[in-house]
Order: sequence, then structure tokens, then C-alpha cells
Amino acid sequence: MAFGGLVTSGAAAMAQDEPGGIITVATIGEPNTLDPMAATGDLLGMVTQHFLETLYTFDKEWNVTPLLAADLPEISNDGKTVTIPLRQGIKFHNGKTMTADDVVASLERWLKIASRGQLVADKVEKVEATDANTVTISLSAPFGPLPALLAFNNSAAVILPKETLAEPLTEFIGTGPFMLKERRPDQYIQLVRFEDYQPLEGEADGFGGRREALLDEVRFVPVPDANTRVEGAVAGQYDYAELLPVESYDRLTGQTEPMLTESFGWPMFIMNTKQGVMTDQTMRKAVQALQNSDDLMLAAFGEERFFKVDGALYPEGYVWRNETGVEAYNQGDVEKAKSLAEQAGYDGEPIRILTSRQYEFHYKMAQVLDAYLKSAGLNSQLDVVDWATLVQRRADPALWDIFITHSPFLPDPALIAPLPASYPGWWSTPEKEELLTALNTETDLAKRQEIWSDIQGLIYEQAPFYKVGDFAALAAKSPKVEGFEASPWPYFWNVSIAK
Amino acid sequence: MATYVLKRFTGMIVVLFVVATIVFVIVRIAPGDPAAVMLGPDATAADIAALRDRLGLNQPLLVQFGVYLGQILTGNLGDSIFLNMPVLTALGQRAEPTFFLTLFSILIATVIALPIGILSAYYRGSLFDQASTTLAMFAASVPSFWLALILIQVFAVRLGWFPVAGYGGPDTTLLERLHHLILPAVTLGVVSSALILRFTRASMLDVLDDDYIRTARSKGMAEPTVILKHAFKNALIPILTVIGITAALLISGAIVTETVFGLPGIGNLVVSAVMRRDYPVIQGALLVVAALYVLINFAIDMLYLVIDPRVRF
Repeated sequence: MAFGGLVTSGAAAMAQDEPGGIITVATIGEPNTLDPMAATGDLLGMVTQHFLETLYTFDKEWNVTPLLAADLPEISNDGKTVTIPLRQGIKFHNGKTMTADDVVASLERWLKIASRGQLVADKVEKVEATDANTVTISLSAPFGPLPALLAFNNSAAVILPKETLAEPLTEFIGTGPFMLKERRPDQYIQLVRFEDYQPLEGEADGFGGRREALLDEVRFVPVPDANTRVEGAVAGQYDYAELLPVESYDRLTGQTEPMLTESFGWPMFIMNTKQGVMTDQTMRKAVQALQNSDDLMLAAFGEERFFKVDGALYPEGYVWRNETGVEAYNQGDVEKAKSLAEQAGYDGEPIRILTSRQYEFHYKMAQVLDAYLKSAGLNSQLDVVDWATLVQRRADPALWDIFITHSPFLPDPALIAPLPASYPGWWSTPEKEELLTALNTETDLAKRQEIWSDIQGLIYEQAPFYKVGDFAALAAKSPKVEGFEASPWPYFWNVSIAK
Repeated sequence: MATYVLKRFTGMIVVLFVVATIVFVIVRIAPGDPAAVMLGPDATAADIAALRDRLGLNQPLLVQFGVYLGQILTGNLGDSIFLNMPVLTALGQRAEPTFFLTLFSILIATVIALPIGILSAYYRGSLFDQASTTLAMFAASVPSFWLALILIQVFAVRLGWFPVAGYGGPDTTLLERLHHLILPAVTLGVVSSALILRFTRASMLDVLDDDYIRTARSKGMAEPTVILKHAFKNALIPILTVIGITAALLISGAIVTETVFGLPGIGNLVVSAVMRRDYPVIQGALLVVAALYVLINFAIDMLYLVIDPRVRF
């Protein structure tokens, strides 16, 4: 037993020997890459934010706040010149001092290869170092979400040393409080404290403010089996285990404790507005009228404490929250759906629901959705494939009518995936394009909130997708972990382990 | 003998070429796109097309196949799309856990199965025989993920004797890593023991009625000597075959167990490569596994020569 204890708690034993200790974090799997510009994905952003940093980040209230920048961007009156002052003396993990040239080269790469960067790339005329500590972005038109895009850890505008920029990236040298020491795919990603890190002054504030590496190491361990993550947390092998099945809530006792992050994300049914039966807005309204979110969320998440039935596209606490259009949410009206389908001239064409079991709640919702459609006499079909196939099939408008996905609540509505017309679903109407352009070109927050409110109303009016509800995420945290703040992308700076 | 070895060697090359071709074709026919998987859920069609181009996936299939064959002939299995390393390096990293897991599992399975199988055949029809047959049926039918979770629950969570999962961190010693393998090895060992037990029993039953056993007994030879030296030795060939096949299957087939225990082995690598459509890894790993399978079979055939002098090629 002593031998078992010695090995199982290897990390814990180390923690007692060394000043800061080691934290072991069980993740849902192995990130597909460590280049946060090259791909999107929550796991990738969560892991890489510890060693690769952006110019800006988000505070507790999801306001953009400086990180590697010295101050918020200065935006000219015409909105076309964005001036970013840089912090001085910031060191990369290889010992080199960050310069404006590194920032320019990194932003240029981001504009070229990152999908979020490409949202703005066609408006960027020039990125240049106006002096050693200032970078200026010249735009052909104002672009309101730019600061949020620069702050986001997903498809992130991370700053790397100019000479390490390559395709694909092979060195992952950043400025973060931790640096990458070793990656053994499917075994661990080992981060160690960066001794030359220069934290911002003041208090920690969400992702912003003071960041301190109090731990010696953070180890991300991929544990794809959710039950194993639960058992590993209960046994004390993992100090933090993410995305656990909600039904295991009561099991998380002993050496761990449950952590429920409310309003973690939202599942959505995306409708194909480009080809097939869902191109008819009245048909989409029929599908919308059918949805009973209480049933759908209950089927997917089991108990009411794990979800909220809420039609607003942002939960409480976000500046973007509004109630426009939500009367069309959660109707559960079969008769109305039948009448709308009849009005649309529906003649029994199959409605193909594309989903996968990668996320079990998608599949459970698909089953309820299928039953709803059938209850209104609509000829629905389930097309259950693996995630890789779904991602490929959804790109072809001929292959599906509704697909299921989900998203966290993003800091700026311009980042919401199904809004651009290029996203599968291909929602593009003159009203939407006009409002989206207005949202993107406006820089005043109050005005942007109004525009967003109109967009939310339009989403309910034109029904390009249906927000099902808000779901909570369950994680397990050792009681020894101190200073941890719940967030959709957990971070372990300012975190310590009680001895 | 030399002709036989040469023939078998040529056969192995043909088998591996066929495997390489079939895997290449199936992987390309299967839906899903590595570029789309890699870039994540919000990637645009243009991003995906650009990455496909960079990965050489937009070239004609025949060109891709030619490149692949050329790589194999130079002992290079290409580079993983996702892991940022050559396929051979990735396989090398997975070799240790898979090798020890297979070895331990086979040892456990053999230690369970051989004595029970021999005694079961010797006491044919007895209560012991019935009990062991029932045990074998249980072991054969128990789902490995269920057994794994029970073992985790009892020995890792409650008793704390073993780690729940994983293969150790950056600073673990070989001994500590092997400690991580005990529960998965027991899981696979128990599940694999059923087949070996049944083969042992059947094979022993075949030889126990043979004339030479009767002769040995009539000469007054001690019963353990009759059973172990005469009967068991002659029953060994089918048993060895099944042990060898089980080992070969474990190298690639311990997928569920590796997933539950989060072990970075070959099975786990193949599954994640399939999920991500990491073509070079799928192709390389399956080719190496096929080569091992063929080599193990070859080694078993060679062992026949040692065990049974009647076997001639």
C-alpha cells in the first residue's frame, strides 16, 4: 500500500518537496496542435494561454484589458487607425526581449492563417511598428470587434519571437508565466514556471491583471474517458479534472470537490439556409415553434441544476444580454408547427439531422429533435456520424438540413460562429448582412449593444439557428488547490497548492 | 529450411504490401478530413483548402500512394499531421507501454490459464472442471471496460494501491511506469486467459487419451511427469499458437483498455489517429502492427520446430 501511495501520488509527493508544487490537470484529450493561431478549440486555448500570450485579454466582466500591450488601443476618430502601445522589457522564454517587430510579424501571421484573424484581414491595410514600442494597425474600414479578437485565446493573436514563426510552428516560445518544457502526446504536456515573467501591477482581474506563476509546474494529462477523469479526481491523482459527466456530481467527494460553472455554453441547432427544405424561412419557423427547451435540456443534461432554459443569447452578467425576440423561444407548439409547415407547402421531403456522439448531449438532443419533428408530421432522419465526418459533411450544403453544435459564451457577439455567411448554415440575408456590418464597424459599446439586440431579434425572426439553452460544466478540484477562479478556459496562474 | 524461411519472408513482404495498399485506400475512402479536424470547429473552407494543399492531400491519389510507397521503401513512414513528429518517433514513444502491457497481460493470462486448463482436462467432468469452464466463460464475456472500472474502483480509488490512469509524468522511473500498467495488464490478462484456458483444456484432452500416455503410465511413471513432460509438451503447439495470436492481437487490440486507463500505447495512438484522420499515423501504425503480427506468427512456426521434432518444413 505504501508503494502504491508513493507512485500514485507522485505529483503530490513532489509538491511537498518543492516550494511551489506541481498541479496535474486531467483534460478531455490531446490538443490537435499547440499552435493557437492555426486552429480553434477550447482545449487548445486553455492549454496554450499559459505560455503564449496576446496583446489583450479579458477581465472579470469580459471587458478587454491589456496584457502585453501597455494600454487599451487608441482608435482614431474615423476608426481606421488602431494604435497599440507595448509594454517594455517583456522577455520571451528564450531570453529575447519582445520588440514591436515581433508583434508586427506575429499579427501578420495571425491575419494570414487564423480563422479569427481572417475575419478582419480583408480590412487591414497595414500592420507596422511606428516606433520601438508602438504598433499601428491601419484599416480600410472601422472594425469594432478588433480588440476582442486580439484578446481572445481561441484562434489567438499570440505574440511569438519573429524568428520562430514558421509553417507549421515547431517552437512554442511565448511570454507567459509558464513555459513549455515537454510534450509527450497522449501522455502529458509539461509546463514549468518562467522565472523572468513580468506580471502586470495590481490585482488579478479575470484573465487580466496580475498573473503570477506560484506553482513550479502545470501538467496537462489527457484522459479521454470521462469516468476515468472522475475516478482519478476522487482518488486524488488529478488536482483538477475538466468536463465531467454531470451525473457524477454526487460522486465527487473525498479528495476532490465538485465545481459547477454555470452558463458555460449553449447548444444550437443550425439550419441549412443554402440548400434543401430549410431554405424556406417558414419551415425554419415551424422547426423553431416545435422546440421545447425544457425537454431538450432535461434529456441532454439530466437535472435542472445543470442547465437553464433561457432564450437570450447571452446569460446574466454579460453586457450583451437582451431579451429581444425571445418570445419565439421555447414554444413547444406542435399545432403551430404543423400549420407553418403546411403554409410552407411542405410535401414530406426528408429533414436530415446531422449529429455525432462526440458530445453525448448533442446526440440526446438530436433524438428529442427527431421526435419533435415527427410529432408534427415532418419526415426527419437522423444522420449520426463521428465528429471528423460531421465537420466534413456540414461543409457540403447538399448533405444535411440541421446540424447540432455548441459554443461557449464568447466575449464579443461578432465572434459567434454562425453569424458570418461563410459558416455552414450560410445565413445571409440583406437585413443580417447590414446589421452584422454595422456591428463590426461600430466602435461605440452602447451603439454596438443596440445593434446586437437587433441581430438577436433577427435570429428569432429568420430562425437560421435555434439556441437550445445554457448548460453548466462540471469539473472536479482538489480542496488543496487555492486561488482558482472558475472560467470557461481554466487557468492556473495565481493558483497554489496548500501544503 | 532455408527455402522455407525465404518463402515465408517473401510471403511477408507480399502481405505487408497488400496491407499498405488496403489501409491507404480505406483511409482515403473514409469520410472526414484531417485538415478540417485540425483547424477546429470554426475554420473556414478556405483555411481547410489551404491546409489540405500544404499537407499534399490535394494531389492525385496515385501520386500520394507513390510518395507513400517510396517513403516505406526508405524506412520512413512519413510525418504525423497532428503530433509534429515523424510517425516512427510517435510509434517509438508508444512502444514501451504497449510492449510491457502485452508482456504482462500474456504472463498473467498464461499463469491463470495453463494450470487451470491442465487440471481441468485431467479432472474432466469434475466439479473443478465445471467451475473452471464457468470461470472461462465469465472471463471471455466480461466487457473489458467494465472490469477495468471495477479494478480502478477497488484497487486505485478505495485501496489506493495503484494509479487510476496514465503512464506517469516526466520524472517517473521505469518501475513507476510499470506500476501504472498493473491494473490494465490484469484487465487484459483476465479477459485473454479465457481463450488460452479453453485451448489448453481441449488440447490436453486430445493427448491424454493417446497411446503414449497409457504407455508412460503402464511403465509406472509418476503422474505429474506423465502430465507435464509427456502430455503437456505434446499439447503445447496449439496452446502456443493461441498465446502468440493473443499477444499479436493485444499489440493493436488493447484499445478499450488503453482508453479507459489513459495509456499512451499503440492502440490508443491508432484510435486517436483514426478520430483525427491522421493518415500517416494510421498507415504507419497499421503497417507496423501487421509486420509484428506476421513476425509473431513466423516466430511461432519456428518454435514448433523446437518443441516438436516431428514438424518439418
